[in-house]
Amino acid sequence: MRISYTEKVILHCLTKIGNQRTIFSILHLLNGKKTSQTIQDAHLFHLTEFFHLFPRLQRNEFTEIYKRMEKVNIIIEKENLSFKLTNKGQKIINGSSNPLPAYVNGWQYHRYTARFWERLSLLVQVVSQLNKQNQRYIPIQTKKEVHYWLKSLLKQLKWKREDLAKQLFGELSALLGKDESIRPILLVIRLSGYSKIGLTAEQVSDKLRMNEDEYHIHFLNILHYMIQQVEKSRTEFPILQQLILDDDHSFSLLTKSTSKTYQLLQQGLSIDEIAAYRNLKKGTIEDHIVEIALNIQDFTIDKYVSQFNQQQIERASKNVSTKQLKYIRQSVPGANYFEIRLVLAKNGIR
Amino acid sequence: MEKMLQKIFGYSSFRKGQRETISSILSGNDTVAMLPTGTGKSLCYQLPGYMLEGSVIVVSPLLSLMQDQVDQLMMIGEKRVIAFNSFLSYEEKYRALHQLNEYKFIFTSPEMLKSVSFIERLSKLNIALFVIDEAHCISQWGYDFRPDYLKIGEVRTRLGSPLTLALTATATAEVKQDIKASLAIENSNEFIYSVDRPNIALLVEHVNSSQEKMDVMLDYLRKMKGPGIIYFSSKKMAERTAMVLKEQGFGDVMAYHGGLTQENRKLIQQQFLYGQLDIICATSAFGMGINKDNLRFVIHFHMPMQLESYLQEIGRAGRDGGNSLALLLYAAGDEQLPLQLAEGELLSDIQIDALLHWFSQVPEGWHQLSAYESEVTAIAGLTETNYRLLKSFNDQAVADGQGYDSLLTLKQMMANQYNVKRKKINDMLQWIYSSACRRKKILQYFDEELTIKVDNCCDICGIDVNNFTISNHLEKREVESDWEKLLAEILIN
Repeated sequence: MRISYTEKVILHCLTKIGNQRTIFSILHLLNGKKTSQTIQDAHLFHLTEFFHLFPRLQRNEFTEIYKRMEKVNIIIEKENLSFKLTNKGQKIINGSSNPLPAYVNGWQYHRYTARFWERLSLLVQVVSQLNKQNQRYIPIQTKKEVHYWLKSLLKQLKWKREDLAKQLFGELSALLGKDESIRPILLVIRLSGYSKIGLTAEQVSDKLRMNEDEYHIHFLNILHYMIQQVEKSRTEFPILQQLILDDDHSFSLLTKSTSKTYQLLQQGLSIDEIAAYRNLKKGTIEDHIVEIALNIQDFTIDKYVSQFNQQQIERASKNVSTKQLKYIRQSVPGANYFEIRLVLAKNGIR
Repeated sequence: MEKMLQKIFGYSSFRKGQRETISSILSGNDTVAMLPTGTGKSLCYQLPGYMLEGSVIVVSPLLSLMQDQVDQLMMIGEKRVIAFNSFLSYEEKYRALHQLNEYKFIFTSPEMLKSVSFIERLSKLNIALFVIDEAHCISQWGYDFRPDYLKIGEVRTRLGSPLTLALTATATAEVKQDIKASLAIENSNEFIYSVDRPNIALLVEHVNSSQEKMDVMLDYLRKMKGPGIIYFSSKKMAERTAMVLKEQGFGDVMAYHGGLTQENRKLIQQQFLYGQLDIICATSAFGMGINKDNLRFVIHFHMPMQLESYLQEIGRAGRDGGNSLALLLYAAGDEQLPLQLAEGELLSDIQIDALLHWFSQVPEGWHQLSAYESEVTAIAGLTETNYRLLKSFNDQAVADGQGYDSLLTLKQMMANQYNVKRKKINDMLQWIYSSACRRKKILQYFDEELTIKVDNCCDICGIDVNNFTISNHLEKREVESDWEKLLAEILIN
């Protein structure tokens, strides 16, 4: 039986999550929903690469997909909206491993992937036009902030017009040529310049006869590859490294509100004090702390959970094969949900 | 003036009507100009912008149109230009607002003109010229009446009645009168040019079914010289037809409609301009501000809602002056769709009654409608257009100190507007069924007379199809598969 690429992705997530969460937790994961539940699940079930891969996938489309899989007996409902793979489903997935190409990492890069592409595509177009000394063209990106960024970049770079194009070409071909498993054409065909306008994603998948979702993931793969490589060896790519330079802290791993809470924590405020100061619910601040524990390696949770409870929770989470909080809660009656989530968050990262 | 035209825009001469309009503005007169589509209306404010001290404010009804105009100016290297609209993020708006005086050209929507802080900032600027694009939207008699446009006159007064230019492509006598009255520019100069475009042949094909319509269109497409646009009244049909055309080997074809992302819209428009696409299957979202000179045909798969928009859409063909074809396909009963659309755009009596009932229970909702948007939308089953209409009525009524019972007057307003729209559809239909010269009929509708003899006039007068056909078949373009070669081609060659 043939299944679509998106179905493969969903099935893969389902093998990890099983019936411990509802099937919609997979939608939230793929959408990249920024709630602590979703972020925590991504870590807990080792699905961080899948975070935010399909931000525009709609609930009704998703429902259609899983209903179809249920209908053809690939998955079966265990209880209220939580599903498991059937034997048939197992067989289908057994042959294929993780459907994602090597470099895709949604959690790590989702915040700057879109911006990276906006900057890259505008940079290539503008440099190509400069090279031809043409000023009459329509920029392919409309956002003002991308234009501001490019303007200040061009001022800063020391190359002459004709050398700039050569330098950028050199960097791009070195970077993309280093690992051809990423299939560079899938990205290059989207770029616009003096003589040519790039294709839309739909057009590429049409011309290359690829499934649109699969193409989307391979496109992300290249972007994530580029970000990763440039981060690693900035000096090798003097122009491209500018694409990943942070200008307003949004490249940080925490959401805006959480980083505010983090700042206040570092100033020594307690949870209640922060809640009062920020005029937020206590639960919200607790959510922030869980998010911090997930993302900041050296953040210690000792202040919030006693050593004893930490050990108990850890032990319980290993014994109870499921990661549903209420079972852990039952076996560690002395701990509350916040403490359990916090310990799981800290462990999930390991 | 010619020197500036050459230096900034790279044109060696003016097109019909441009010089007269611009001279009128430069000598300080409020001006109403009606120039047919495809003759370069925007130049009429762009050039004066460079010759006058201060900013040019352009009010424009459609976001996509606004972006196109910004792009056009950017293309000639103008950086001091901004589209101040709801596409901007909060930060962008904030930033723009604080450096508003640095922009030469400020495009904005009538909705934005409701913002107090925006008006506040605008009133501090030195305004060289206040432009109302698509000014027919001001008139209740116009085919595209937008209640928000009615307030532009008030804004103009608040800005100290700056020098004003009202632009439109099509306006009947009553519409012109409404424009002047609403803007309080009764003494303005008026420049009216014929809506006729003699190089566009007008064809109507009557068919019996939608299948036959498709077949007839495919027949035409097999013979016709491209590139061209096919207009549909629904996204779905545009998409579906694009698919059919791709499958049947009509070269490179794309659908274009409001549902696309900004980036994809850009790419498709540009591909079309660069000659990488042969046919666009579009809704009316496509084409405003598209400056493609060599469009050879415009097809209407569905009938437009009025002759005005028909004229505007076919006017995108043949801007280079070459022979072009406008084909409208009509199957009996096609008028049902525009009639439904017209009804859907307005609020029905049932909806108004539901609203009256709801407001009687939640009277505070009348004074803070935005806070109840989702609730109101749900109980009265409002579309987005419906809600905007209600909001705009509500704004005005609240400002005038009227309660929710003023909604009763909205019923009559809706009935009147529906009648206007129905009449327009009926006029269009009569034109389709007419057995007199199509060009003559259109001109009559705009109170003009046909004074010249046109060679390939219309299906009634007879045309020589050979002027529009080719024999060679369109092929899809090959894609370069070597990525390094392609990259070099884009970046350095």
